[in-house]
Amino acid sequence: MKKIDLKKLKDLDVKKLARDFVYGKPHGERRLGELYEDKTGLYKHREWRGVKDTMYYFNNIWLYNYVMMVGDIMKFGGPVLFAKGLWRYRWLGQTYLPVLHWFDRGLEGLRGEALRASAWHYRAMVCVTINQFMNMFKADGNLRNGEHNDAWHHSIYHKETVWGGVFYPWADKYTHIPMEMIPYFVTCHVNNHTVLNYIDAVQSIGLPGDPCPMCQAEAGLFVLDDMPDCAPFMVTSNEACDGSVASTAVQDWFMDIPLFAMPQPMQFDDPLVQEHCANEIRELWRFIEEQTGAPFNWDLLKEYLEKQNELQRFEWEKWDVAANTDYYPINGVAQALYRIYQSQYGEHYIWHDTDKRVRKIMEKCVEQRINSFPLTRHRVIAWSCAPLYYSNWCTWAYNCWGLNTIINMDSLMFDMTIRTDDLDETVMDMARYHEWAPMRRMAVGGMHHIFELWENMEKFHCDMVMMYDQLQCKGMQGVVGLFEDEFRARNIHAIWMPHALPDKRTVSRAEIRRIINDYMTTVMQEEPLDPSLLDFDDSESW
Amino acid sequence: MKFFKILWKVLLIGAAVYAALFAVFYFDLDGKLLFRKVEPWLVKHYDKMERRDPLSVGYNIEKK
Amino acid sequence: MRDLKHLIYFENLLQEANNDLVKQARAEGKKALGYTCYFMPEVLLDLPGCFSVRLRAPRSGSPEMATYYMSNRTCHFGRSLMERALEGGFNFLDAQLATETCTVTCRFQEHLKQMDIIQNPDFFCEFTDVPFKKTENSCEHFRKQLQAHVLDLLHEKFGIDISDAALMTAIEEHNEVCRLITEIGAYRKADNPVITGYEFHVIQLVTLTCPKYLILPYLRETAEELKTREPEPRFPYRVRVVLAGAENDDPNFTQLIESCGAMVVADRYCYGSLPGREEIHVSEGQSPLDAVARHYLGTSMCPRFMPKEDMRGRKKYLADLVKEYKADGLIVASNKFCEYWSYERMMDALILPRDFNIPTCSIEKEYVNSASGQLRTRFQAFIESVEIKKIQEGAKK
Repeated sequence: MKKIDLKKLKDLDVKKLARDFVYGKPHGERRLGELYEDKTGLYKHREWRGVKDTMYYFNNIWLYNYVMMVGDIMKFGGPVLFAKGLWRYRWLGQTYLPVLHWFDRGLEGLRGEALRASAWHYRAMVCVTINQFMNMFKADGNLRNGEHNDAWHHSIYHKETVWGGVFYPWADKYTHIPMEMIPYFVTCHVNNHTVLNYIDAVQSIGLPGDPCPMCQAEAGLFVLDDMPDCAPFMVTSNEACDGSVASTAVQDWFMDIPLFAMPQPMQFDDPLVQEHCANEIRELWRFIEEQTGAPFNWDLLKEYLEKQNELQRFEWEKWDVAANTDYYPINGVAQALYRIYQSQYGEHYIWHDTDKRVRKIMEKCVEQRINSFPLTRHRVIAWSCAPLYYSNWCTWAYNCWGLNTIINMDSLMFDMTIRTDDLDETVMDMARYHEWAPMRRMAVGGMHHIFELWENMEKFHCDMVMMYDQLQCKGMQGVVGLFEDEFRARNIHAIWMPHALPDKRTVSRAEIRRIINDYMTTVMQEEPLDPSLLDFDDSESW
Repeated sequence: MKFFKILWKVLLIGAAVYAALFAVFYFDLDGKLLFRKVEPWLVKHYDKMERRDPLSVGYNIEKK
Repeated sequence: MRDLKHLIYFENLLQEANNDLVKQARAEGKKALGYTCYFMPEVLLDLPGCFSVRLRAPRSGSPEMATYYMSNRTCHFGRSLMERALEGGFNFLDAQLATETCTVTCRFQEHLKQMDIIQNPDFFCEFTDVPFKKTENSCEHFRKQLQAHVLDLLHEKFGIDISDAALMTAIEEHNEVCRLITEIGAYRKADNPVITGYEFHVIQLVTLTCPKYLILPYLRETAEELKTREPEPRFPYRVRVVLAGAENDDPNFTQLIESCGAMVVADRYCYGSLPGREEIHVSEGQSPLDAVARHYLGTSMCPRFMPKEDMRGRKKYLADLVKEYKADGLIVASNKFCEYWSYERMMDALILPRDFNIPTCSIEKEYVNSASGQLRTRFQAFIESVEIKKIQEGAKK
């Protein structure tokens, strides 16, 4: 039996212990890295955030979300359908069961209002995700021995980079399903193991390893026969890059259903391209009418666009608070993922519910001047496309170094509302909206767009750039030198973060942390707020 | 009196369940179960699943 | 075969972007207009008073400076062009007529726009938006783009005559080049051709990189010469292949394949003639610009086109070429980091052998092919396999 060290017992600061128990350890004294099991990233025990926040996390996040997930499954199709899908699709079974760990990683270290506001964003994403995969299963011929039911006939398949808003005119009768959003995009964030199967699959039939891994994975889903068969036709787009265009050919081959390509112009600043782009949308609508026999519904389009405009207006309010105050209660990862998900997918009731809740929290923070990130040392803007397998790096960076990610490039896409008073104007706005999609708004149409970084740095009062360096993105790789030149000329602290979008094997999370650590110690000469987070092995974690 | 006894029992069971769930939460038992048991089991299932060979899909060049 | 009279001259013209004919045309007061992609219609850049130069970076080594700007994970072709520009090799250009048709050449051209690289005070770089489909909406859009970003600008900046009459003159000259190249290229269909794939590659490239009016006399003479050229006593190659793929402006690559025993009988790659050297037809009442816009969208077989019929039609086009040129096999070569051709090559290599019974060799190459030993081994193995297949098929018959 271990002897009790009386001296140690005497030295115990009971008051401090009590304070830590009630309020949680203050940032600066925390040792979050010590909570992890080696390699797996599992927790020896979850973080004690003080009585109030721990119980909030347990009741209102952990328990609530488990219950709501079951509720969502019941609501959107039932447990039998869910079980069938789970048994059939790797991306569902392997990915979505550990979803609460995705919460944990993104919300680590958060307290008070930030914990609440950020968690609501996560809840909304989970709800839409469940809704989407249940919609897929409802229509899926693969789960019905190849038979096509009514739901199959009432679904529209589209590439995930086609904005869901173009399908609003049929929203009352037809379900639009972004093909890869759930099987690929969201999976990478929740459990990065799954996507590696798809990348390997497409390479196994002869694709070289260097094209964009996102497009590789999107094509690999078909190679591994892991895509539901849930619609009679599909709509594709040239967004975001050459790889998306090229991988469409693979998808077309394996899907073998009627296809409409709705490319957007590359030189979107040119006023001459707008009409062309608008005509493409009109042609798409004609194609859908031909395929479905259902007429275009202008009233429905208007109604949905107006709802979506509401979301955009609230997003602007959020940006205003983030840019001009210290009271923004949403952390970097919640901001980035929610915004890209909501703006790309399109209208869903949960976005409005969430925005209402977040508005309350944000207004409270502003009114009561609650700074949710009090140990912010640097206000960071994250630019270019993020590592999907480590989207929660910003949570780590704040906890470890006080690097607070205020805004990111993808959030700033789709930066507009859409006029709804006249169809012609609406279509022109929709054309513009589509041109401003993620990895488009700043990435093509002239280099000056990618350099909008400087004005956004100023607008959001950021003093540091986290420059994502997607090693297989030809567009971004083709501009690295000019960024280097500009960073030097403008004397901006920028950390290049190499990664390969969904593929953690190229640059591991530990390597990303090492690069940030090196910059912070050698260039910034700062001390970590939580040294236990400097170096740990999470190589096998989700 | 009986009602209060039942209520008490329900409360006790409720509290026990709640405490157990808290233990699951706090010690990340859900994560450990999913990581060590459920995921490997499911991966095995997916790995050995029979799948359609995509390369057997025809490529009709006249198709529009 | 006896050497072609102008072959060495042509080869020399390919040693520099700013070659003797380019210098001569500039000395005559003509404006040199650079471009990189088939989607920038060269015929519009060959209006009276200017001439087109499709950019190449011959004799490139390691693109060190360009790698700083564009990293080492982008297409070597784009970086080599950038390097050449930084070295001053493109200072003769008066303008670059750019297209955002593949990412890395686009980024190269954006650098020309963003940085003061081309040491020519009047230099400008202008982008044209190129559609991804061949529909009416796309043709109309492309025509408007060409009007605004090419013709109007050339007129405004250099006073170039952009009237329909001037366009028709350019089209006629262009068509003559196309007729001659088609005539010369057609010899490759013969059982024992009077021209090699390498020679054809060189001739095709000079038509892209030299002012048309200056290269035409040599082309005419070469076409005449070929009419009476004696072929080798017997076909000197073991097999015949179609070479398809991404950007390829390196005749030595063709020569490498031929030195392994496979004659390249058809060139279906960027900078090749199939497609690319079809005549432009202007219908009665049609504006020449409209005909040009439709021609370039209509003839292109670029993997950029997304409609189903275009994606699938590309496979048929390749299969038809193999048949028409009596090829025994197909070599599909993509440049490393070329996203379009990575996928296209993979699909060609899967579909053409399976559905068309065409032996296919799929390879990845660099712009500068220093690893020729490895490529040689690949080609030799492929040629042997094709030969064995031919023998087996012969035995069956």
